[in-house]
Parts: sequence; structure tokens; C-alpha cells
Amino acid sequence: MSILRKNFKRHLDSLAEIFDLIDRVAKQEEVEDAARRAISLAVDELFTNMVKHDSRNPGDITVELQVEDETFLVRLIDRGAPPFDITKKPDPYLGASLDERKPGGLGIFLTKSVLDDVQYQYQDGTSTITLKKNLRKKNV
Amino acid sequence: MFDIRTSESGEIVLSGRFDAAQADKAKAVFDRLTVTTSVDFKDLVYVSSAGLGILMATQKRLRDKGHELKLKNVSGHIREVFKIARFDLIFEIE
Repeated sequence: MSILRKNFKRHLDSLAEIFDLIDRVAKQEEVEDAARRAISLAVDELFTNMVKHDSRNPGDITVELQVEDETFLVRLIDRGAPPFDITKKPDPYLGASLDERKPGGLGIFLTKSVLDDVQYQYQDGTSTITLKKNLRKKNV
Repeated sequence: MFDIRTSESGEIVLSGRFDAAQADKAKAVFDRLTVTTSVDFKDLVYVSSAGLGILMATQKRLRDKGHELKLKNVSGHIREVFKIARFDLIFEIE
């Protein structure tokens, strides 16, 4: 499929619209449920971070979706955002007791855990996060 | 569509998608809990780290008072998310 690109208001209320878009593309492209859920979770986590960490930025956030052969690709494009390379963020220590566990860091860890690849690029004031989920081969 | 309600027996019943947009609504309910409470996930289709954070904060607060949250009817894919987040170490999951 060609790349499907849509801009979303920088607000948590946009999440429902984003889920709908992912569900629609997944259905159209016959993406298996597990991959759809992984992409939804990852996009939710990263979009939420973009909203929360740069709430004064009036610009929309662009979401690009593309299903090709055996790959579901998503790009989140955030203009005017401060650079933050999520791939460099250390994983939280999850073996700690409840008392010692700290909030935060879980969203990016979940994102990296459910996907096959996450890339970050920052250029000319624009952050682009590329998410990749491998798909099962379709029967031919 | 997300919903959170308290059943007649005092259980918390979740349904729909529990994401960051629903965090305030859910937190208002969980913050009122003062004793050991079951949380029924039967109709919940999705939970993000925002939901996990609320569950964990509530568990911490209740454990300090000798109580806890107990999670039940957790679907396979939400159980996967719990496993990644190591919630098996901090929750009783029926």
C-alpha cells in the first residue's frame, strides 16, 4: 500500500482517532491481531509522550502508516520538538520490589519490547520515530 | 470507549481501552479505594503504561496499609503486557 499520512491534534483525545486509523489499515491489509495490537500500543505510548512532554507546541503530530510485504511501518513526525532519542533511554529495572519500583519509563520499554525495530532521527528541528513490526507471511 | 464502574460486590469492573486519555477518570475511582479490591479485566481490550501506572500506584498505596488489588479475568494479550512489565511480581493475578 502507499503511505497513509494524517495529522493529529496534539491532544490525548486524538488517541481514539489514531486507534481507529490503525484498526482500519490493519483490517484492509489483513494484518494479524497481535501485530495490530503491538503497533497500537507503541503508537499510543509515543504519541502520549509527545503530547505530555511538549504540550505548549501548537503543531500537529503526523502519523504515517504503511504495510508492505511482511512489514507494518509507522512513522511519528513531530516538528519543533526538543530532541529526545528514545532508543537511547535505559530500560527500567523491573525486577525491583513494589516499594522500589519507580513510575515512568515503562511506555518506551513496552514499545521496544513489542516491536521488531525502533529508529529515531532528529533533523532540522523535527523528530521522526520509525516503528517496525514484522508480519507473518500471507498464504499465496 | 472506556468505562470503569464498581459492582454491587465492590469489585472494580473495567471495559474498553484503558489509555492515557482515560487516566484521570480511572484514577478518580482507584484513589477512593481503601481496602483489598478485585479488579475485573474481562471486558478490557487494551491497557497502556498510563493504566499500568495507576494500577501500580494504587497497589503501593494499598500495600502500605496491609491491603492490595487483585486482578482477575485478564485476557491473553493483556497478560502479555503484564508479563513484559513484570506485574506478576507485584500483583496477584487470578
